[in-house]
Amino acid sequence: MALDRQLEILAVCGVGMGSSLMLKMTAEDALRSLGVDARVENTDVSTARGMSPDVVIGQGMHTGEIADLAPVVITISDFLDKEGLEAQLRERLTEQGWLS
Amino acid sequence: MDVIKDILTFLADNVFGQVPILIGLITLAGLLLQRKRFEDVFAGALRATIGVVILFIGIEVFTGGLTSFQTVLASAMGTTPPKADNTLADFLADQGGTIALVITVAFLAHVLVVRLFPAARYLYLTGHLMFWISTVTVASLVTIAPGADQLTLVLCGAGFVAAYWTLQPLWMRPLMRRVMPDDRFGFAHTSSLACLITGYAARPLGSRDKHDTEKLKLPRQLSFFKDVNVSTALIITVIMLVGVAFADHGVVTKAAAEMDDKLSPWVWAVLVGLRFAGGIAILLFGVRMFLGEIVPAFKGFSDRVIPGTRPALDAPTVFPVAPTAVMVGFVSSTVVFLVCLGVFAGAGWFTLAPPMIMLFFVGGAAALFGNVVAGWRGAVLGGVVTGLTLAVGQAVTWGLYERTAPELATLADPDWYAIGWLLKAADPVVGGNSVWLVPAVAVGAMITTLLLLGRAEKRRAADEEEAAPESAAPAEA
Repeated sequence: MALDRQLEILAVCGVGMGSSLMLKMTAEDALRSLGVDARVENTDVSTARGMSPDVVIGQGMHTGEIADLAPVVITISDFLDKEGLEAQLRERLTEQGWLS
Repeated sequence: MDVIKDILTFLADNVFGQVPILIGLITLAGLLLQRKRFEDVFAGALRATIGVVILFIGIEVFTGGLTSFQTVLASAMGTTPPKADNTLADFLADQGGTIALVITVAFLAHVLVVRLFPAARYLYLTGHLMFWISTVTVASLVTIAPGADQLTLVLCGAGFVAAYWTLQPLWMRPLMRRVMPDDRFGFAHTSSLACLITGYAARPLGSRDKHDTEKLKLPRQLSFFKDVNVSTALIITVIMLVGVAFADHGVVTKAAAEMDDKLSPWVWAVLVGLRFAGGIAILLFGVRMFLGEIVPAFKGFSDRVIPGTRPALDAPTVFPVAPTAVMVGFVSSTVVFLVCLGVFAGAGWFTLAPPMIMLFFVGGAAALFGNVVAGWRGAVLGGVVTGLTLAVGQAVTWGLYERTAPELATLADPDWYAIGWLLKAADPVVGGNSVWLVPAVAVGAMITTLLLLGRAEKRRAADEEEAAPESAAPAEA
């Protein structure tokens, strides 16, 4: 682990109840496979604006709105695609030097 | 014997009657079953409990805003504001425990059905709708059978709700297969009837190949709209301001003075719009907080009992397929709803309250299915169907929940109206004493459907085996 603390990850969707929660569970699975120590929360876009996570995950409709909220913003189009998200996370976290 | 009776009474009043505590305990059990770490179990159960408390506070704020909104609009149009003997907050305080138990028992029954019948195929996982559909069902059952005890309500409600959760993703399946050909997950959303109507009615309108919404380019200025907090505040405030301009001065001044007696009615109108949106935001925050704990707990449980089942998920999971269609649906449903609001108010029928969240999700989903069938014309049709359903639904359904929770009519999706009126229509047949017929018929219909579907699927599999390997395309269900 190249980061000495828990990674803060935010899954967003329109109202922050249904699909972001699904996304949170997918992300937790992917992070477990990557062996990253992270805390994943889910919320709506409005609330997300007031937060400062390390990583934001959401569908393009929303990540476009909050593109500079976090150093890493990941856009997904499939909420259940654990492998795809895992690959994106691996690449982007390595880029930041958070994953070696 | 008295001791046992005392204990049961205590539990009924203080545990099963108090939603925050009951939800906390259900979450605690769910997290313990998954053998989570102590701190996760403890904090999770507490978060779920606080979430419910916040939900109740949000409902109080929202209801207050709704009352002011309806008063001003009714005065502007010279009609009487809708009256009700009860509020959602009272109803939840009274029946919240029953609702929490309906969710739990119905979920267990639903898991069992999905385990037993391969044709059931999808596990319903849209948490907030699991809560609201149970609320609508309990409110409808209380209307049919006012004297029923909690046990009757829980079992009847759970039977009906479990049947709905099982069947709803199935009747959306043919349309979903056009959106998500790989069939990895189903569609679990109470907009299903509006989507279904749109999907079939859009057929003659065109084809996706020629008129796909995703070839359109929408103006960027519309993008703030999809933040439902912003659009709710904006639209309600504008309508409030117009209302104040036409309303009786005395009525408005009196209402404004209730908030602060030095307040200008215009500023009051803006504040009411903002508070209305704020109330909904608080309500959603609370729902999010308890769902964040309880849904993973439910999912963990079902993953253990039925590994590898396909989940049925919330509407936005399909939105990435056609985001432009979603915006077309949202905008067109909002326009149609606002036109209805004007027409209804002008005719003196009922003062509608624009439900921005429902216009977004139901309008968006219906438009998305409309687009798969017929391109942008189908998407617009989806918006129109949604706007009309929500407007007419609100106007006619408010009275149905007069004595339970009338706000259920303003917060509703199409399926809520259908369930409310279906149970209401059953009332003369079923009556208070034989409320058990409701779950009996629902479960009967569910089992019959699953057996027929199962047989049809078996036959199709056999046919395909014969015709294999060249015809790999699966037939529509």
